[in-house]
Amino acid sequence: MRFARITHPASLNFPMRRFRLFYAVFVVLCLLSVEPSALHSQIADVRKSVVRISTTSQDPDYKVPWNAGSVTRSIGAGFIIAGPRIITNAHVISNSRFVTVERENDPKKYAAKVKFVAHDCDLAVLEVADQTFYKGLKPLEIGGIPQLASSVSAYGYPIGGERLSVTQGIVSRIDFQTYTHSAVDSHLACQIDAAINPGNSGGPVLQNGKVVGVAFQGYSGDVAQNVGYMIATPVLQHFLKDVGDGHYDKYVDLAIQTFRLQNPAQRAALGLKDDDTGVMVGSVVPGATCDGVLKPGDVILAIDDNRVASDGFIEVENDRVEMAEAVERKFKGDSLKLHILRDKQEMDATAVLKPAWPYLIQANAYDVKPRFVVFGGLVFQPLSRDFLEVYGIDDLRVRYFYDQFVERTIFLQHPEVIVLSQVLPDPINTYLEEYKNSIVNEVNGHPIKRLEDLAAAFAEPADYYVVKCIGQGRPIVLERSAVEAARSRIKKAYNVLTEQNLTPVPSTPPTDFSPAVATTANAGLSSGDGAAAR
Amino acid sequence: MRKIFALVLLLLAGSFVLPANLHSANTVRPVSPRTELSVVRVSSTNQDYDFFRPWAKKNPRDFHGLGAVIAGNRVLVTAQLVANHSYVELERAESGQKSAAKVLCVDYEANLAILQPVAENFLGNLSPLELTLDAVVGDRVNVLQLESNDALVSTPGPITTIEVGHYQLEGAAFLLYKLSLALQYREGSFTAPVIKDGKLAGILMRFDPRNQNVDVIPAPIIAHFLKDLDGGSYQGFPHLGMETAPTRDPQLRHFAKLPAGTGGVYVTNVIPNGPADKAGLKTGDVVLELAGSPIDQDGNYEEALYGRIAFVNLVTTRSFAGDKLPLKISRDGEMKALEATATHEAAGNYVSEPYIVDRPPRYYVVDGLIFEELSRQYLKEWGGDWQKQAPQRLVYLDRYQSSIVPEGRKRIVILSQVLPTASNIGFDDLKYLVVTQINGKTINSLDDLSAALTKPVDGFHKVEFEEYPKQIFLDAAHLEENDRTVVESYSLPDLKLLD
Repeated sequence: MRFARITHPASLNFPMRRFRLFYAVFVVLCLLSVEPSALHSQIADVRKSVVRISTTSQDPDYKVPWNAGSVTRSIGAGFIIAGPRIITNAHVISNSRFVTVERENDPKKYAAKVKFVAHDCDLAVLEVADQTFYKGLKPLEIGGIPQLASSVSAYGYPIGGERLSVTQGIVSRIDFQTYTHSAVDSHLACQIDAAINPGNSGGPVLQNGKVVGVAFQGYSGDVAQNVGYMIATPVLQHFLKDVGDGHYDKYVDLAIQTFRLQNPAQRAALGLKDDDTGVMVGSVVPGATCDGVLKPGDVILAIDDNRVASDGFIEVENDRVEMAEAVERKFKGDSLKLHILRDKQEMDATAVLKPAWPYLIQANAYDVKPRFVVFGGLVFQPLSRDFLEVYGIDDLRVRYFYDQFVERTIFLQHPEVIVLSQVLPDPINTYLEEYKNSIVNEVNGHPIKRLEDLAAAFAEPADYYVVKCIGQGRPIVLERSAVEAARSRIKKAYNVLTEQNLTPVPSTPPTDFSPAVATTANAGLSSGDGAAAR
Repeated sequence: MRKIFALVLLLLAGSFVLPANLHSANTVRPVSPRTELSVVRVSSTNQDYDFFRPWAKKNPRDFHGLGAVIAGNRVLVTAQLVANHSYVELERAESGQKSAAKVLCVDYEANLAILQPVAENFLGNLSPLELTLDAVVGDRVNVLQLESNDALVSTPGPITTIEVGHYQLEGAAFLLYKLSLALQYREGSFTAPVIKDGKLAGILMRFDPRNQNVDVIPAPIIAHFLKDLDGGSYQGFPHLGMETAPTRDPQLRHFAKLPAGTGGVYVTNVIPNGPADKAGLKTGDVVLELAGSPIDQDGNYEEALYGRIAFVNLVTTRSFAGDKLPLKISRDGEMKALEATATHEAAGNYVSEPYIVDRPPRYYVVDGLIFEELSRQYLKEWGGDWQKQAPQRLVYLDRYQSSIVPEGRKRIVILSQVLPTASNIGFDDLKYLVVTQINGKTINSLDDLSAALTKPVDGFHKVEFEEYPKQIFLDAAHLEENDRTVVESYSLPDLKLLD
């Protein structure tokens, strides 16, 4: 639900600087709102439903992309629902190589497998092959959204001990929140005031014996006290319904920016009445859901027959929620009815919903191997959030391409932004160190739109490989004979196990994405300046 | 370099004072009689413009320096000392006599300024300092400072390096002396004359007390400045409008078909309509020789006085605006001879001006929306770390303007901020947005904006931006009334400044 985020322009300038929510595997807190006796019976039941999850994971190494990465271990929580299936957070099992689950009152560790994982809403389904695991377990029922100020109890395995922990608190806020696991998605979440700590993640939050949320993130104590978040059950239900066909399709996205219509002159100029209805479309991401359906300047009056208020809220089940909610409940391929005002004429439009990939450059990636190409000791990697954070690049152009990738439709010229990330020093590249962090535009006259283009250009026989980078007037020149002579030397010296990995990752542009299609790019000043590269 | 700059700012602001310790510092000795050297105290009260509230000046701040008396009843100081001056005053150290001064000429790129006392005969018996142009590495020079008791202090030290180095403004690179000496802070340490054998070898531009590095604007640059000035209308230091890279890389040399054993620099960028562009130089050319001097693979030439030094010195120090400089280039292996006319690029010729000093920023306020023209000075409102702190879109536009701003675009007009009022409700969060059109007219300057606002469409002014939210509308019928509200609520002296 990206467009909810970008209706707040304040967050636009520095997408990297988000809240540092800390979410490293912590367990939810349960609040004992019920009477003591009822609580005791609830706890007894919960023991049959909550599991402890131990994960051994291997995180990719973006600085040495041919390496498998370092191995870490972590603890999280999960719970059993009908199926029976084990629900936990995606971040509890992301990059996992081996997962075990343990039940209360059972000494055995059971090997588990990840059946489904949804990194955009931080949820996963695990399954255990050994059927004896499920014996005596009691699936939890999934409830609705708890009332504000009502008490809830969170269960899990946070730091401080080995055994099941329960904490309690009240529901302090129900709102869209950025899910820090991906860093670019926002969905409904409930804020609770119970202490949430690493190890709580994936645990159930209960009210009256039903799951009303999945604990998943919170602020570290030095930022804010008693602020923890749980995934709201509509998100969990959406995930379960999505995987019903055996495949996770991801959340869909309108991929537009909207502007609140609270200014009287703005409303009058657009031909609107003074009835607090409608938001203006600011931009439409080319190739995404609303491309060809909406235009900048259109006013969205209603979405699936829900009146859109001038602040971008709609009314759902007697509650005012962001209009994103209308899309949140839908799936890939579903259609969405839009009632709009275009050039002062009311009209209806239909959008067929799909996920939008360009945003994913700014998303954390999991369960992937870094894409890269090594040639002549030069390491080329696509720009992504993980890449940027690991290298800590503060080069202005690289940062601009990252920050403005969607906003400035840079993805039309550079569906994948290929950066010269490292120079493995060798006589062949001794004068090239200063070209680090350059963005590749062209090799031997072939435009480089994605990493595959680069690999293909280097595979083509030529006397010289002339690499032109954006804004660098001096090309990088590699002589084929020199590259061939240096190849085994560099591989050996730097232990380069493989010279390239082209396996797609979520932010990789779809193979059918053709930049030529979308010519509606900003013709303005500063869209990706590939064309102007000198 | 940035570190050094920060330290100089501290000195400038006078926020700390190092104790003067004449007796223990054996490198420091009083000069007597002090009248043998012609220096005067300079105090400048400067007020920077506030680019976020462009109708206002910031608080006045005092800066002090020691000026060198030169021929023609003039005093030489750094331009920095008098940047955005409201009042400049000279003081004779030995008599305490004071005079207001006017700034005759200032060059912020070369960081030099010439002052003249208003009072007649103020410099009286002080004999003007002559320039010494032949200082070389290893020469010992003296940095002059004044004690608060008016004792003239001379700190000797060697010239350790002579190179083309960075001046105060980004991108400004000129000949520079570097000294190594233990200078102590004294009132007036800033803009201190540097003397060799009783003659002016340069003036101190910045000082890094931790590393005891002193950067000096050298006499050859001062001489260039004075000669340019004496020629009538001041032109400024010339450039060629190109960027280059070394050609040491043998693979690049083979590719560019450069014979072994030759030098040359690879042209990486040619500024459109600049001297190099007009001369026919292209990206990818290799410049082998400039103004008769062969250029080596690192971009240096052999200078009689200094040995190898960056070839840009041939343009800045050795040439004047209007000089014709022959170039020998290699293009795809073929030798060619070109001729470029060195020119000075005035700050105003850039789309995003590199500096705006001694004049207020242009602005236009309508319905509480503050419109300005993007400049580097505007971005510097974000402080010393502006390149990281300022909105990256704007920093990017400024930095890469020569390659991304379409030709014909005079200025980039931005909506800087909004002064919230009832009529602009809903717009109050908008800021730092690039304006593309108003009422269908392309906006290339605030003058365009002013003209476009006289022609509303259907009772509204449509303002279009590059960025989200792309377009807003203002009520044209009530604009005057709304503007009055803004003027009253926020005490604006004027709604616009377009001069």
